[in-house]
Amino acid sequence: MRTGLLVALALLTGLAAGAGLAIAQMRGGTMGGEPIGGPWTVGAKVGTAEAGLLTRATVALRGLLALPPSEARYLNATTDSAGAALDGRCRYRVKGGAVEARWWSLTVYDGEGRLLDVPADRHSLGSAALPEGGARGWQVALGPGARLPTLPGPFELTLRAYHPRGTLLAGTATPGLPVIEKRGCG
Amino acid sequence: MKRRPLLLAALLIGGAGGYLATLAAAPGFIMGVAVERSAEAIGLNRMTHVAPVTFASQTIVRPSPDLAYSSCPFDLAAGPLLIEVAPVPGHYWSLSVFDHRTDTAFVRNDVQAKGRPVRVALARPSQPTPSGLERVELGGDRGIALVRILMASREEIGAIDPIRRQSRCRPL
Repeated sequence: MRTGLLVALALLTGLAAGAGLAIAQMRGGTMGGEPIGGPWTVGAKVGTAEAGLLTRATVALRGLLALPPSEARYLNATTDSAGAALDGRCRYRVKGGAVEARWWSLTVYDGEGRLLDVPADRHSLGSAALPEGGARGWQVALGPGARLPTLPGPFELTLRAYHPRGTLLAGTATPGLPVIEKRGCG
Repeated sequence: MKRRPLLLAALLIGGAGGYLATLAAAPGFIMGVAVERSAEAIGLNRMTHVAPVTFASQTIVRPSPDLAYSSCPFDLAAGPLLIEVAPVPGHYWSLSVFDHRTDTAFVRNDVQAKGRPVRVALARPSQPTPSGLERVELGGDRGIALVRILMASREEIGAIDPIRRQSRCRPL
């Protein structure tokens, strides 16, 4: 009898711990954790029935109503290109060139996937406002008071690429994705 | 001493079960909450055209400020639903339908639509729909249909709004 009670307690403890781990992974996850180039990660099967349990649950929590890869790729960066966590107190330069997509945009979110309370609601910039600029490409300032402003605290960048092509569509290593350079902090 | 392996096994089995059950249940739970909240705010089975998202107005995670959204939270329990989307010339636009598990059940974009309106019927497998109408079968009653229209700038919403208001969803 006592053994039965202990087994039941162990099962319940395991259930609670397993559920807690799952929730922690969903909350700490991104729109897909597979590296695709530089600081960018992607969810290979986001929005499809083929998505794994963890991907589907994480996307439901952190990017509900995400489109499948044939329509849009959602690349996420939580670090700069040197691997340091993105920090809203720091200034960055994001540099890039042509993105293999019909159109694309960069959006700043907090760690929970919410837009920041920044002046004039300047949350995103994309191919409509940042012409590819030929061989020199494009660049945009990111940080406090910058063209793409941030607030103190951790933040994330999401690169949306609609109607992706080539490796971006395939979700495999993609050269030439935007570089995120830290210029200084404080 | 023989109890220890038994307890360890129970802990591991419980842990694996709790982990997998939580991940499996989360999308349905989250979609259920999203549909419920939308229904309270704007009603079920009708298309609502929301203003471009701002910090103050965001209601879902990771919204795109570049897109004008129209949404139709739906429930097929009472019957199938007709969705009609008006094309917006010169802009990327798409209709996507998300099922009760958050999977994409249907997507049609401006290129695929070739400038024509999109008309589809959402239905459960057991629900008949009029012939000649494109049919999208769903495994559950509830979900969300979403129209996305790309804006070159926030100011474009004035020109886009009268067109997107021609898009609607309603019970068949």
